[in-house]
Amino acid sequence: MKHMNHDYLDPINSLHVPELADTTFAMDFLIRAKEGVRNLAFALTETASPDARAVLRNQLRQAIAMHQEITELMLRKKWFHPYELQEQYQLDMLSANNTVLIGQMNLFPDDTSRIGMFDRTPDDANHGGALT
Amino acid sequence: MNNQVLAAHESLEIHEVLNFKTLCLAKSKLMQGLVFDQELRALMQKDVQQSTQAIAELQAVYAKAPFQAPVPQNRPTPIIE
Repeated sequence: MKHMNHDYLDPINSLHVPELADTTFAMDFLIRAKEGVRNLAFALTETASPDARAVLRNQLRQAIAMHQEITELMLRKKWFHPYELQEQYQLDMLSANNTVLIGQMNLFPDDTSRIGMFDRTPDDANHGGALT
Repeated sequence: MNNQVLAAHESLEIHEVLNFKTLCLAKSKLMQGLVFDQELRALMQKDVQQSTQAIAELQAVYAKAPFQAPVPQNRPTPIIE
């Protein structure tokens, strides 16, 4: 992927994409789970109402369990190497480099405002009235 | 005790956690359309179910915020002029 060409239909650009995409999504998922644990723990220590505390405490337990499941999945798939730091270093650098390349691609139309598609119902084209 | 109004600072904690969970639900749902690995997808679906439940619980608590108000069907002001 080092010399990504700009023909997006060239199959060479699809090589290893599933692996690259899944590691990125899994990393996002892991970071969200981690952030959830921290946010919930923080909220719990700021809360006194018993029913609010019960909700937050249960969700904290669930968040810790989810974080563990994601970590184990990523370890099993070799998307995450907490012990082989050189491999983790390589993964970090590769995914950063590949994502920078994607960031430089011109993927979307110039105007994405889609004005007129979400601010009126179909009949509004007839000034609010159905055809009579 | 269960119907007591939340303190102001507690309400803000619930506000933050609720919005965080809402964003997590949106991401876990949308990313299922993009992931290739089916085990990762299944775990994201589990997160969708847990987040949906979590949001319902948080909404029940948030209803006791001192600034709670009737919730309209749509956003009160149009986003696009």
